[in-house]
Amino acid sequence: MSVQNINVALIGNPNTGKTSVFNQLTGLNQQVGNYPGITVEKKMGFCKLPNNIKANILDLPGTYSLNASSMDESVVIELLLNKNDKLYPDVAVVVTDVENLKRNLLIYTQIKDLEIPTILVINMSDRMERKGISLDIPYLEEKLKTKIALVSSRKGLGIEELKELIVSYKTIPHEPCLNASVIDEEYFKKLQHAFPNQLLYKLWLVITQDVNFLNLERNEIRSTFTKSHSELKRLQQKETIKRYQFINDVLKEGLKIDASMAKDVRAKLDRVLTHKVFGYVIFFAILFLIFQSIFSWSTIPMDFIDSTFASLSSWVAAELPSGILTDLLSQGIIPGIGGVIIFIPQIAFLFLFISILEESGYMSRVVFLMDKIMRRFGLSGKSVVPLISGTACAIPAIMATRNIENWKERLITILVTPFTTCSARLPVYAIIISLVIPSKRVFGVLNLQGLTLMSLYVLGFFMAILSAYILNKVLKLESKTYFVVEMPSYKMPLFKNVGINVVEKTKAFVLGAGKIILAISVILWFLASYGPGKEFNEAENIVKERFANTTLDETQFENEVNSQKLENSYIGLMGRAIEPVIQPLGYDWKIGIALISSFAAREVFVGTLATIYSVGDTDNESTIKSKMQAEVRPDTGEKVFDFATGISLLLFYAFAMQCASTLAITKKETNSWKWPAMQLVFMSGLAYFTALIAYQLLK
Amino acid sequence: MFQEIIAFTILGFAVVFLIKKFFFKSKKKKDCGGGTDCGCS
Repeated sequence: MSVQNINVALIGNPNTGKTSVFNQLTGLNQQVGNYPGITVEKKMGFCKLPNNIKANILDLPGTYSLNASSMDESVVIELLLNKNDKLYPDVAVVVTDVENLKRNLLIYTQIKDLEIPTILVINMSDRMERKGISLDIPYLEEKLKTKIALVSSRKGLGIEELKELIVSYKTIPHEPCLNASVIDEEYFKKLQHAFPNQLLYKLWLVITQDVNFLNLERNEIRSTFTKSHSELKRLQQKETIKRYQFINDVLKEGLKIDASMAKDVRAKLDRVLTHKVFGYVIFFAILFLIFQSIFSWSTIPMDFIDSTFASLSSWVAAELPSGILTDLLSQGIIPGIGGVIIFIPQIAFLFLFISILEESGYMSRVVFLMDKIMRRFGLSGKSVVPLISGTACAIPAIMATRNIENWKERLITILVTPFTTCSARLPVYAIIISLVIPSKRVFGVLNLQGLTLMSLYVLGFFMAILSAYILNKVLKLESKTYFVVEMPSYKMPLFKNVGINVVEKTKAFVLGAGKIILAISVILWFLASYGPGKEFNEAENIVKERFANTTLDETQFENEVNSQKLENSYIGLMGRAIEPVIQPLGYDWKIGIALISSFAAREVFVGTLATIYSVGDTDNESTIKSKMQAEVRPDTGEKVFDFATGISLLLFYAFAMQCASTLAITKKETNSWKWPAMQLVFMSGLAYFTALIAYQLLK
Repeated sequence: MFQEIIAFTILGFAVVFLIKKFFFKSKKKKDCGGGTDCGCS
């Protein structure tokens, strides 16, 4: 019996637990991509169902209605109106929250009117008893003309019933909830007469929505049935009122809330967590705990990974036949990969904490709390989401600005988001902090290294809002703004969701950055192992001549030859060419090479240094950290990574725009090269001068 | 000789990979319908 493929679209308001339902249905069988032509994230998963059915489950962006005001919402409408789309759903699953059923049902009634088989999922059923909520499911099914799955995605309850409903989707009635004609009878009568084969509500959406329709003659419909913008708005409002009247009538009988039974701590918690003083104190205390933990907990696994890769390099060098491939493996590829893998513990811990804050509902309180501050700097509360998600990566964070309706606020958010400390900066910070900041306790409890890391995150955030303030004054763009944020209920974070998020984000870092780092490590090794001219090719003779009057043992001689070769290799020549520019910042030519190679991606910095310090190193057993620690300036004999150079490097990486992908996404989102060029010049200039001042003051 | 051939082939792959990554936009679109394994049943 052949497998039947069906498309299932998960639709719903934000914070209804839609993604939890998606995770329950698909487990780890997920793929993340973008919708063609735009950068709104598309999550797709697979699920095997009874009767040999394979469901392709599409998690659509959260949307409040089919009246699109942002790119995220347009994606939902475009899919639901285009039957030729290969992802067009055979069945729509609308996910609602039992506590916000009235508001969540608005989009349900709209989708139902498109005559797509629609299943209603009432999620968070485990909270019904605590909230004193009771539902008359048969009554709701009859009035809403659908099948209902009562689900608790957090506890995995009702998921099997939902799967059964998806299997039998053909039995779900197609009838609409609302007759579209009630919006304006005269107008809709004419519309139906002109397009007798088209669905009335679909025609209405074509007229009112500014999205791409592939299979409907939009221009034809619009030119014949044109109405003024204000008239259309008035009719849309009328439609919404009619829908809520219908929903109210249904819920009057179908939903009962016994307030006396409700035990709610939410209001009490909100009073504290969004308090104008305590709210900020608690937020910074949480941040502080996170960064302390990142440093304390990840030390052991990081040291283990570092020494494992050092031993592996040493083993490869000893066991494989000597030659160029063995050298490439032991000095280029293995240290390069080690430079990525070593940061998995810290990145995983960071995302673990961020996921817990998001899952628990606390992040929405942070957005609300920060809105008051953000507004003064020309940003909106919604800018907090990109700025916080920028701690993972600036690219999805810049994409997340798409739900900011005001163009000026959105542009400013796009331009300043790269200041947020992303996960690619974390490896650079981690290694330099461990080299130049002592691991000691301040006031008996605070880890100084953790404190420094937190200061760098705060510095990035501070620079982002300061730049936003300047841009707000400079940019002459006027547009109206409003801010609405939904406060979801507090929940115990679900281990499965947190786990999936941590695995996904860590995997993205390792695979995305890892391939680039590996390729760059290979090229760097070649550039460091070959060189032009006599200075490189006759290194041994030059060293012999130089030390003709001194006795060197075999290891010392070998180290001198390797040093001579590295300095005159291709990479050495490149590094020395830029040395005059970076010397005032406290960097030598080797760090200069790492700066150049990490221009495309910051995380390459550590891998580059690992490769450069490994080339010609007779001691393959040393870890990356110990090699960096042992590096001295040949002229003075002082350590390269001293306090002044370390702080200078930290500041350079805090501000520099060392990410080609971020520039590309800024260009795409702003549709102009002007803004990424401005980002590059401003951030690089700021990084250079801050690092310069820091080094000159501290040296 | 054998080691050199492999080492330089790896170098070639690395260079091509980086050029493709930073200078050419990938036109490949993921087909989300191709998975077979399913952990949910």
